[in-house]
Amino acid sequence: MQKQRKRLRDHTNKLFPVQEIGSLPKPPWLISYLRGRAVEKPELEHLAKWSKISGFEAEKDIRAVLSQPKTAETEKRIRNFASLFAIRFLESAGLDYVYDGEANRIEMYEHPIRHSEGFEFYGHVRSFDDRYYRKAACVRKVGFRDAYHLDEFTYAKQAAKRKIKVPVTGPYTLAEWSFNEFYQRRLADDYHDLSKLKSEAKRELVLDIATQIIRPNLQALVDAGAEWIQIDEPAVTTKPGEIPFFVEAFNESTAGLSCKFSVHICYSDYRVLYPDILELKNCSQLALEFANRDDDTAAAYAQLQLLNEFEDEREVGLGVADVHVDDVEEPSLICGRIKYAVKTLGDPKRIYVNPDCGLRTRSWDIAYSKLSNIAEGAEMARREIS
Amino acid sequence: MEGHLTGAFPRSEALVEASRAAARGRVSPDELEAAYARDVEALVNLQTQAKVEFVVDGQLNWKDLFRPFSELLTGIRLGGLTRWFDNNTFYRKPIIVDKVRYAGASLDTYFRCSLPHNGARWKAVLPGPYTFAVMSQNTAYSSFGDLIDALAHSLKDVISELKKAGFEYFQFNEPSICFSEPSKNELQLIKQAYEVLVKGIGAKTALHTYFGDAGKVIDSIIDFSTDCIGIDFYATSIASLVEHDFTKEIGCGCIDARNSLLETPDVLRKLIRKVEDDVAPKAVYVTPNCDLEFLPQNIAVKKFHILAEAKETVA
Repeated sequence: MQKQRKRLRDHTNKLFPVQEIGSLPKPPWLISYLRGRAVEKPELEHLAKWSKISGFEAEKDIRAVLSQPKTAETEKRIRNFASLFAIRFLESAGLDYVYDGEANRIEMYEHPIRHSEGFEFYGHVRSFDDRYYRKAACVRKVGFRDAYHLDEFTYAKQAAKRKIKVPVTGPYTLAEWSFNEFYQRRLADDYHDLSKLKSEAKRELVLDIATQIIRPNLQALVDAGAEWIQIDEPAVTTKPGEIPFFVEAFNESTAGLSCKFSVHICYSDYRVLYPDILELKNCSQLALEFANRDDDTAAAYAQLQLLNEFEDEREVGLGVADVHVDDVEEPSLICGRIKYAVKTLGDPKRIYVNPDCGLRTRSWDIAYSKLSNIAEGAEMARREIS
Repeated sequence: MEGHLTGAFPRSEALVEASRAAARGRVSPDELEAAYARDVEALVNLQTQAKVEFVVDGQLNWKDLFRPFSELLTGIRLGGLTRWFDNNTFYRKPIIVDKVRYAGASLDTYFRCSLPHNGARWKAVLPGPYTFAVMSQNTAYSSFGDLIDALAHSLKDVISELKKAGFEYFQFNEPSICFSEPSKNELQLIKQAYEVLVKGIGAKTALHTYFGDAGKVIDSIIDFSTDCIGIDFYATSIASLVEHDFTKEIGCGCIDARNSLLETPDVLRKLIRKVEDDVAPKAVYVTPNCDLEFLPQNIAVKKFHILAEAKETVA
């Protein structure tokens, strides 16, 4: 088993750099404008409030666009402003690594699927309670259509005052969240062991998404100057027997690309990842959710011991704030979680801090409070440990 | 050959919208109930037109397999969202906080058998006691055996009421039997629970397994006291069942509810024939491998028609 030592140090040369994981809520004025509705006064107040807090420099420009009828040109401009708005929001909250809150994406699954070849959407399936998502079916061999994150990255790169990390939904998650018709149909003559057939077809789909869709997208980002790309794989532990598919796909996606890569995984028993995850060849950091399962005693962070147990010396993106509740973690609690991680892992330079996951389900107020407290908690830990 | 559905059916796009709007307070409870009723009626019509022997109401207002029972039984409160086996769907974990008992609450909201059904009989689908126990958090019973026994007695009281209401077939969904690899001791407890459930009920009963390889536990469950055992053939190889003396009916889960690829009549016919010939059960009936709710409704309807066609053509 390959011992995992490879990692890149933070460019900022400070302990516990603070990063976002990905999504923010869509600004209400953006939603109204894109839906062709009149932008109401409360939405403009939202714009004014957060422009003031974050030092956003383009409030007047946004207002000018919002007063115009929607066209392809104004839509592009308003989306770029939404990116800038999110970047300033994250910067002012004190983050060291930022992106655009995924302001230009529908969401993490539907956006890449709609920009790739081979998929069709049939309708909604339920996620839980009265929540649903559109699930696509892979009906043809998958393929690259366009570099779907390139424009947003190019814009964010020139706009951001801090370092950038680009979140990209990973091949296993895209496959797991889709129906698999094309690859299964090709194997459909053998009905004696359908479980085996489905598994083989799944592996083909995962690997084709990796090589035909994700890799060209990553290549485009790297060519455009991306220095750090986070592969989001929230589905990776759904079927523990398929974790080798994820590993193979990650390696196929990233091999030989000159960029820092990390992987984000959440809401899982991380034990099932080992030992397979040690075979990720170009992965410097595991960004993991913990706060959601913690009870203020840092007990949930005991799973960090897995890294010691398997001699996995990669960086850890430590989830210190729960993105599913409005209770805002105090800086002292966040500091305590960081210190626990230092005590467990030993080397403080391996630890980055972040929310558990994207903050898109929280309000802007709650998201800002959580992020600001993460930054403050990290600073407290820095003072205590340096 | 018989053929019928195994539980939850996906909501129509209209009901999806209505339930979303209701969650945001934009649709009244009465309007939402009307939307549910329209979907149930459409589903019952779909089944009766296909002349299935047993119709289900599709559990269209169930938020998950256990949710109604947090209202219908005492001693259960709702916990956090938890992944539903190996799916990208979630349920709220029941937390057993006190003794579980059915105290006579009305079952009408969650079990609907009052619609015209063209002579077909009603099948009720409930969680099996083992899956219910495994997927819950127990803070009230000192042993797992006590919990599963209490759940079996409570579910027995529920199905006794449902029988009075007109249901004639009770299917217990037990994905955990295949997914969790129960110990020998647990398998003995499950067997006892089914004796409690089935004894004297005077109706057809089925234990439906899915999401896992039934071949691993078939030795133990083959002599449980239900009339039928449902098998997920997308997780179980036919070969793993052939060595057993099947004196029960097999629910042949050959319509894949977790993939939108439509099954071809030819492959279904061969698969069903293979099960009949190699496993040689008392009888075979055609089912989806699990609830069709994992599909968009338009695909689920197509799969139901394939099921209906298969039961006619194979017969």
